Amino acid sequence: MRLITHNMLSCNIKGVTNGFPLRIEAGNVIEKEVDFNPDFIRHMFAKLEWKALVEGARSMGYAELPEDSPDAAVLESDESFLKKLHHALLELHLEEGALVCPETGRKFPVNKGIPNMLLHEDEV
Amino acid sequence: MILDVLRSIRTSSSSSTTTTTGGRIILQSFGFYSVSTSKMRDIKVKSDSRELITSSDEEEEAAAQIIESVSIREKEISSSSLSVKSTPEIEKKYVHRVYDAIAPHFSSTRFAKWPKVAAFLESLPCGSVILDAGCGNGKYLGLNPSCFFIGCDISHPLIKICSDKGQEVLVADAVNLPYREDFGDAAISIAVLHHLSTESRRKKAIEELVRVVKPGGFVLITVWAAEQEDTSLLTKWTPLSAKYVEEWVGPGSPMNSPRVRNNPFFSLESIPETEVSTKEQKADNSPFIGLESIPESEESTRELKETKASIVEQKEESLEALKKSQQEYFVPWHLPYHRAEVSGASASALATGLAKKDDRKGAVVYNRYYHVFSEGELERLASRVGNAMIVDRFYDKSNWCIVLQKAALNQD
Repeated sequence: MRLITHNMLSCNIKGVTNGFPLRIEAGNVIEKEVDFNPDFIRHMFAKLEWKALVEGARSMGYAELPEDSPDAAVLESDESFLKKLHHALLELHLEEGALVCPETGRKFPVNKGIPNMLLHEDEV
Repeated sequence: MILDVLRSIRTSSSSSTTTTTGGRIILQSFGFYSVSTSKMRDIKVKSDSRELITSSDEEEEAAAQIIESVSIREKEISSSSLSVKSTPEIEKKYVHRVYDAIAPHFSSTRFAKWPKVAAFLESLPCGSVILDAGCGNGKYLGLNPSCFFIGCDISHPLIKICSDKGQEVLVADAVNLPYREDFGDAAISIAVLHHLSTESRRKKAIEELVRVVKPGGFVLITVWAAEQEDTSLLTKWTPLSAKYVEEWVGPGSPMNSPRVRNNPFFSLESIPETEVSTKEQKADNSPFIGLESIPESEESTRELKETKASIVEQKEESLEALKKSQQEYFVPWHLPYHRAEVSGASASALATGLAKKDDRKGAVVYNRYYHVFSEGELERLASRVGNAMIVDRFYDKSNWCIVLQKAALNQD
């Protein structure tokens, strides 16, 4: 699971109103290089919940992102920032671990890089 | 893609055999739908030919009963405490478990990219995040290399196949996507909704697709059509009475008695006459004996000829009526024995009656549940989703397809 996906994932248990972002319990994180595409990274920026990304990256062992969401100028001109964002979003993989609902504490397992977000009968 | 499935289940039987067999099954099915179970067991061979020759009025009534029983089931489900997000038994047994068991074989047949889907994906702007809900073996993930795809499917074995190809995927339920709203640039649902067994679940899945894309984002949905281009395919499918869809619970159920299992109507494919012993049928006094097995001594030759002639006429009407009204089916999947051994899931499937062996074809036969869509049905369903507009609709290769656009922020 990459952080780009994590930034979208939310706990959908019945009745939960505060299911995002899921806290990451990182068991095994690996890095896989991906071609850098600055336009894509700029496009992604608008979608992101920044705090969730920073926190998620930190959980996966990457603390290079600024705490506060940078403004548009940085996005246009600062390639080193874009590369950090690229690295965080696309190159870090949670292979083993869990995603934890902030409201209920429910753990969604991640095995071999695949999160299992299926709910049990009583959670639906 | 759809054609791949259709080719794989096509047999080499002659068209006349298929038609005849199909005709018999169709007529039997109307007999089945229009009378109760206890009544059917009392029907003798002689009166069978009369009972089986239903008038078109009776056929329409039978069709109306099917539709009515489906809507009753819908009301029951919506008024019960069962959430629309709860998976019904029929989907657990005849969708989830089947795909889990057949995943690698299924994936190996899923390689042809459907041009209309490819065109949709290629039309999206560079850098789009595309969500594929029900991605199966990930055939479309990464199709447009300038976009980022996130796929999900309820089948872990299928998701594993995607993951092994380096795709970004997760295991999730299309009726309850674990995504926050407005994230995706576009979403696709290719041959998924027809596996959902209630209208409210199908509608919910459409709502989910719209929810997870950005305002102004596009959603492409394709589903199998009731109006199949290759009508001989319908004879390979087992039509389901809605009433019995719920009661199909496994080994303990009356549906699994030997008498029922030997019955050609309940068989998983249109087995030609030779496969079911005529003697066995006569001895059983089964109500589903084909016309070919009516003993000569019980009917005059002339009467028999007239009977058969009108049956041939009625069969064409029945096929039409069936196509129009019948939308619930089991569609077989033949998993070759060597594949079944590798998977391991088939042993328990056979033991529990979920699948059956066909030694003639050297395959374990599974059934997949389908609700095929009639013309206009997908549109009607989608038009009930509040914040999206239909921007394209088409029929292609026996599928009904629709493109929705989520309302932009400043509109309702």
